[in-house]
Amino acid sequence: MKNIWVVLKKEYLTRIKNKTFIVMTFLGPLLIALFYGGAIWVAIQGSEDSSLKKIYYQGDVKISAETALESNFILLDPPKYENQITEDIENEKIDGYLNIQDVDLISLDSTELISKKSFSLAELSNLERLFKNAIHEKALISLGINASQLAATDVKGGIKSLEINDAGETNSSGTGLRSGIGFGLAMIIYIFIFVYGSMVMRSAMEEKTNRIVEVIVSSVKPFELMMGKILGVALVGLTQFLAWIGLGIGLIFSLSFAFKSQLSEIPKTNSPVNPTAISGAASPLNGTADPMNSAATDAISQKLAIIEGFNTIPMGEILVIFVLFFLGGYLLYSSIFAAIGAAVNQETDVQQFMMPVSLPLIFGFIIAQTVVFQAPHGKLAQIFSMIPLTSPIVMAVRAPFDVPLIEVLASFGLLVLTFIFMVWLSAKIYRVGILMYGKKPSWKDFVKWIRQS
Amino acid sequence: MIEVKNVYKYFDERCVNNDISLTIPQGSVFGLLGPNGAGKTTLIRMLATVTTPDRGEIWFNQQPLSSKHIPFIGYMPEERGLYRKMSVVDQLLYFAELKGLKRSEAKDRVKHWMKKMDILDWADKKMEELSKGMAQKVQFISTILHQPQFLILDEPFSGFDPVNADLIKELIIEMKNEGTTFLFSTHRMDNVEELCDNLAIIHQGEKILDGKIHDIRRSFFQNEYDLCFSENPMILTSGDSNNIPKNQENDIHTSTLSSQPDQLLFNQYKIQSMHSDYDNRFWLRVQTNQNQTFQTLLNDAFKTGKLIGFQEYVPSIHQIFVNQVTEKES
Repeated sequence: MKNIWVVLKKEYLTRIKNKTFIVMTFLGPLLIALFYGGAIWVAIQGSEDSSLKKIYYQGDVKISAETALESNFILLDPPKYENQITEDIENEKIDGYLNIQDVDLISLDSTELISKKSFSLAELSNLERLFKNAIHEKALISLGINASQLAATDVKGGIKSLEINDAGETNSSGTGLRSGIGFGLAMIIYIFIFVYGSMVMRSAMEEKTNRIVEVIVSSVKPFELMMGKILGVALVGLTQFLAWIGLGIGLIFSLSFAFKSQLSEIPKTNSPVNPTAISGAASPLNGTADPMNSAATDAISQKLAIIEGFNTIPMGEILVIFVLFFLGGYLLYSSIFAAIGAAVNQETDVQQFMMPVSLPLIFGFIIAQTVVFQAPHGKLAQIFSMIPLTSPIVMAVRAPFDVPLIEVLASFGLLVLTFIFMVWLSAKIYRVGILMYGKKPSWKDFVKWIRQS
Repeated sequence: MIEVKNVYKYFDERCVNNDISLTIPQGSVFGLLGPNGAGKTTLIRMLATVTTPDRGEIWFNQQPLSSKHIPFIGYMPEERGLYRKMSVVDQLLYFAELKGLKRSEAKDRVKHWMKKMDILDWADKKMEELSKGMAQKVQFISTILHQPQFLILDEPFSGFDPVNADLIKELIIEMKNEGTTFLFSTHRMDNVEELCDNLAIIHQGEKILDGKIHDIRRSFFQNEYDLCFSENPMILTSGDSNNIPKNQENDIHTSTLSSQPDQLLFNQYKIQSMHSDYDNRFWLRVQTNQNQTFQTLLNDAFKTGKLIGFQEYVPSIHQIFVNQVTEKES
């Protein structure tokens, strides 16, 4: 046991002292911030430019320029001659031509949009909504409802998801926020396993290819060497995370300090905000409501809902689940990676073993993205949060959605058992593998080595 | 101190060590010889606690060898290396700690040895910045830092330049005198004769010979003697007058010489080999039979020519090794 500690200390210290590590620890958050900042910037730039479409429109349905612009469309009257229209489309002077003049007003099915470059799905559905609303409105007006009555039926706000806790109180569930947190946690586990798992693998491989390992195993049991490595590298990862969290908190604090004045001004500019809107309920049917103002209250109420959601999300539970499955998943995978590193003779031989091992991880991540967002407690989610090779990721994504305790315990128990079994198995491969030089090993050799030791 | 008792080791049904038994006395240097692939490294790995025998036992100081003996064993494998990105000091401290040394003690010893090996100035350099010779010194220090009672060196001089090799040899003798027991595996027979007290030859997984070097060589003594003449006595018999006056100084010899000069040695003894060397000295290897004593051979040699050297021929370990191995193979 003492030797595990000696190996752990060495693995940890040499990595922590490494220049690349220090640089990445400080530059990492900056790079991530730059990356996301860049992505958001591109998204904003993109939405302003490309999505504003000019369309020749001809039809009975009247649509005001403002309403069209809200959906990012500019509707223009087409020129008289049809060949002029096609020419403009071909020269890309105009994005498309829409004619719903002769179409029966209940269905848009036979309406065609002619364009050179096809519209995106979002653009098409925006256009559809624009016209459906207008047709709807026109139909209502033709039934004798006037414009102000119509405006009064406009439903504001969104559904606020509430849930009852054990004490019988209702709380905002903050579904979106939960999904975000769960996904973020799953992402962290996924990246951590890959980055630090392969670090363990390369460390084992380095000792083997540099022929250090024979000296080492004359002093340490191969199992101790492997465990020291795995735990040492885990500590390196945790150190990096803690540094990043520390840096992140520091960054948020300094940012919020800088923007404090601006933040406090927002409620003032919208002073006549309806208090019910803030609480997230539908605003009262008020025919004369200023659309700009109500949009602003909507945005604020959304933000407040998020903040409110934060308070109701069981952060302590999530953290416990995250840490348990994070460690379990890392230990399970890194022991497999260690065995691979000990078995191969050179970096190029790694691929054939990495593929099948990383597949469950990638699969878990895909499951996490698709199924869990739609049904965090569905059958599929339940099954894959029980399978130890996928459970760390799937469980992390489910963590914010109040997973039943029995499921957490069962899944974690299975994970621990598999981890112990895997470490035992990997240690056997490791023990024989590190002293095997020469030909590239195969899966068959692995089985033989396990039997041999 | 070390006893290997009927040890077997198999790789995939193939027997790599077949019923090997050895005894390595305390404070001695034991040479383990054998052609490539004989199973030396396999045996050594078991002695170094890297692997365990499939059958048989290894005893260390009257106890079955186990991991608790690790601090008393030092092992330098044939294939060796160090962490390239680690500094010399960190590396040595790591190895010392793995062997159970306390950090403060390890620090003192690292300093002591680096001073002794003259690499103190390189303490904070990374291994990849060191020359090969210096890396070898670091490697050796890492093996002996914990002052092992039993030191296993697999091909210790391979890759060492002659200067470093001599340095290591001196250290080995020094440590041996302090009571350290050594096991060597090597192909270099000169080193074996120079350093070893005992040896064993293994071939195709089996021990074919072992014992004290002196005893082994004696056991291969076949009553052969090397005689060295200042010049070829055959030429002498053909009546070369130049050399006669010298011989005349000794009456007895002159008389016999003049009577039957060549027949004495060449006719009565079995001549194994003869050759002249660069100084024009003439070497003759003769074998005596049971009726011929060492004394009569000497007398006859004097009668044959101007004898300037005489010694019994005991085959070298090199010869014994080659003979034994080729004999087994044929």
